[in-house]
Amino acid sequence: MMETNDMPYQPAEDPDLTAYALGELDAEQSKKVEAKLGDDARAREFVDQVRQTASVVASELKNEQAPGLTSQHHRVIESAMQRGDRTQRTLRRVRVICLALAAIILLAVSVGLFLPGLGAARYSASPAVPDASRFSYNSLGAPAPYGDALHEPTETVPSAVSPGNRNNLNSNAATNAERNSRLKDLGYVVEEHNNRVAGTPTDHVTMGDMTTLFDGEQLVGAPDPGAAFNTDTFDKIKDNSFKRATDHPLSTFSIDVDTASYAIIRRFLNRNHRAPPRGAVRIEEMINYFRYDYTQPAGDDPFSVNVEIAGCPWAFKHRLVRIGLRGRRVEQDVRPSANLVFLIDVSGSMRSPDKLDLLKRSMKLLVNELDGDDRIAIVVYASATGLAIPSTSMDRKQTVLHALDQLAAGGSTNGGAGIELAYKVAAEHFIEGGINRVILATDGDFNVGVTSQSKLVRMIETKRRSGVFLSVLGFGQGNLKDSTMEKLADKGNGNYAYIDSLDEGRKVLVEQMGGTLITIAKDVKIQVEFNPANVAAYRLIGYENRLLAKEDFNDDAKDAGEIGSGHTVTALYEVVPPGIEVPVAAVDELRYERPAKEKKPHRKSETAHGDELMTIKLRYKQPDAERSRLMRTHVSDPGTGYAQATSDFKFSAAVAAFGMILRDSPYRGTATYGAVAELAEEGIGEDKGGYRRQFVDLVLKARSVDNR
Amino acid sequence: MSLMDTSSRDGLWLRSAVDHYERGLTLYASRLLGDPDRALDVVQETFCRLCRQRRQDIEDHMAQWLFAVCRNIALDVMRKESRMKPLTDTRIASEEAAGPSPSQAMEQRDRESQVLNAIASLPTRQQEIVRMKFQHGLSYRQISEVTKDSVSNVGYLLHHALKSLREQLNTDPARPVRS
Repeated sequence: MMETNDMPYQPAEDPDLTAYALGELDAEQSKKVEAKLGDDARAREFVDQVRQTASVVASELKNEQAPGLTSQHHRVIESAMQRGDRTQRTLRRVRVICLALAAIILLAVSVGLFLPGLGAARYSASPAVPDASRFSYNSLGAPAPYGDALHEPTETVPSAVSPGNRNNLNSNAATNAERNSRLKDLGYVVEEHNNRVAGTPTDHVTMGDMTTLFDGEQLVGAPDPGAAFNTDTFDKIKDNSFKRATDHPLSTFSIDVDTASYAIIRRFLNRNHRAPPRGAVRIEEMINYFRYDYTQPAGDDPFSVNVEIAGCPWAFKHRLVRIGLRGRRVEQDVRPSANLVFLIDVSGSMRSPDKLDLLKRSMKLLVNELDGDDRIAIVVYASATGLAIPSTSMDRKQTVLHALDQLAAGGSTNGGAGIELAYKVAAEHFIEGGINRVILATDGDFNVGVTSQSKLVRMIETKRRSGVFLSVLGFGQGNLKDSTMEKLADKGNGNYAYIDSLDEGRKVLVEQMGGTLITIAKDVKIQVEFNPANVAAYRLIGYENRLLAKEDFNDDAKDAGEIGSGHTVTALYEVVPPGIEVPVAAVDELRYERPAKEKKPHRKSETAHGDELMTIKLRYKQPDAERSRLMRTHVSDPGTGYAQATSDFKFSAAVAAFGMILRDSPYRGTATYGAVAELAEEGIGEDKGGYRRQFVDLVLKARSVDNR
Repeated sequence: MSLMDTSSRDGLWLRSAVDHYERGLTLYASRLLGDPDRALDVVQETFCRLCRQRRQDIEDHMAQWLFAVCRNIALDVMRKESRMKPLTDTRIASEEAAGPSPSQAMEQRDRESQVLNAIASLPTRQQEIVRMKFQHGLSYRQISEVTKDSVSNVGYLLHHALKSLREQLNTDPARPVRS
């Protein structure tokens, strides 16, 4: 920092350069350092060296295995959490109102602690708490009965750490204090939760706290209340609401064949034993994870349209409309040659058995499926970007397999430069009429190289025009940039899958290779026109981030989803028949209008196509075309009951209901985990590959960890 | 309708914090104490204390809060037990990522242990700061809040630590990524 006057400037003695190299300086300080760098080559060299050393040190240190806490430790923390929870809700008020009382109780509880047996006894002897209030308290998330909570610390807090015991006393004191004011408090908490309306100024802090904690939707951009600490990033999703057919006869959206959400939900439930953040639940991706037995397209059409209507299982007066598309299947042996460029994140964060290792194993499965006309290149990116394997013909599979073995993780990520290089390689080996695709495999942690998400998305958008498509494969957890990855795939004419196991790798890269790699039609949009004579209101389930304005449907410049070989895409509409009350959520938008039933029914529909429920219009482009084509289907409701529906229908309804529960949707109606499992069981059908069975197991797992 | 609602709602931020920081803290505490078992108890206590905090009071400085509390408890334990052991360089069992060929794997192991040895040769305080910065990703400011050093002092220590590391490792710029 301080060079003496007689000595020339020594970069190696200037801590500011190190701080600059590590990105620790603010804008102003950085400018000063940059001025120094401008006229001192040695200083520049020094900064480079610092970065190199830092990157080596960081990548080696990140590889160090940490000893994990034991389940015993976790149990202690868990019970502290639950005590903490209760403490949080009342402690603040208690502190103010009855400090002295708390002190007395503290004494009482400390006695209780030394005599653990008394905990339970005292509980049963404490003033009777009406069952109803216990019930509602529990429904708000109260932990185990108090007796247990009192027992826990004496049994499990290791004596080696004495401060813990002292502090546990504090939280028990609060628990006890809370017990005294529980009834009053209960009503209060319930009210806060339901109304989310600020009360008196003194309550305000608590209430803000409560709404933040309880209402995921308050947290724009971070629906998971814990997202601030777990760096997995999920965008907020708000359920589509009911729309009245008289006011909004048109519903327009882009198809989506992504499946990542289901695998992410599975990871949360099976590995983390908890419900996923709501933002991770994209119902359309859950439904589309499964295959449905739709008819093969006829003639030249790239896909078939299959509609089924039956009773809605979670709202018995409503109808459920299922629109299913099925892409023409291109057989493996007649598929065009492939020019694939794998763009692999080998940054330090990928060094994990469920990331790079899993990717390598999944890729080997794919390589084994390819043949002599296909080519693969592998670009890796981390602190630096490099071509690990130049585009290689699949005559020489061994070369690729060997090179895959050699990949190891280390360094930090610069996704941007990697994407540039990958598209360049893909363009150099472009196969006319073939499959040209960049496959990005990452945990999504683009953390170096100032690649803002919007910049990346723009870059991908320009690349799309080159005719090279993009697939995004997500791996791992704790760092997953779910929203970035979905957007990238969306903008890059591509698809996004999340791979959490070798089975999933096989499903995505081998079984569905056709679909994942071969695009049958692009910019596929659906527009449904509802007939107000037969539809009071409707609601599109899922596809929240795929909605389009009605004008976009006929606008060929508007990008939309792709459908691949053999892919099926399913959309569900929940329809409220005329004469049935429209669920409350629709009330807002109709505030200053007369209710629909007072209006005269749409004359034209009544006279011209009286029995029709709706018209489904589809627009799509051939993969290499710029102009779209239109398909149109008119649909009437045959009045089928739910029981008579096909197993595919039942199963997709079960998946949708599962999503709504996980998302705590206001439209979930009577859906419960138990009911969903039953419905799915009824719809299990042939179940090739056992995916539906696995779904039933997952629902049961959800019930055991979440039990909403 | 059950007990577990806690997990999906207000308990979630705590759970996420545990998920996210568990490994980092156990590693950090192990280094401080030179004893993984004791380290786990310290980390457990750190999280228990976290449970008693109000989320809004600490969420904007969660990392440094956790590391500072963990450090204080660890120092407390060491003081109490009068076993101020220096940091040891016992390497905690490391799983070698499957993949590299034997010779490569060995090369990689060599380089890793070279880096770790180099770190272990630094003065204790520098080791701690190097780990906080490069293993746990804390910024100068966060580190200064944990160790109560000034930010410029942290910068000074890290600058010298990196200098010694560079000299020992003689970093080869081509190495970090296979290409």
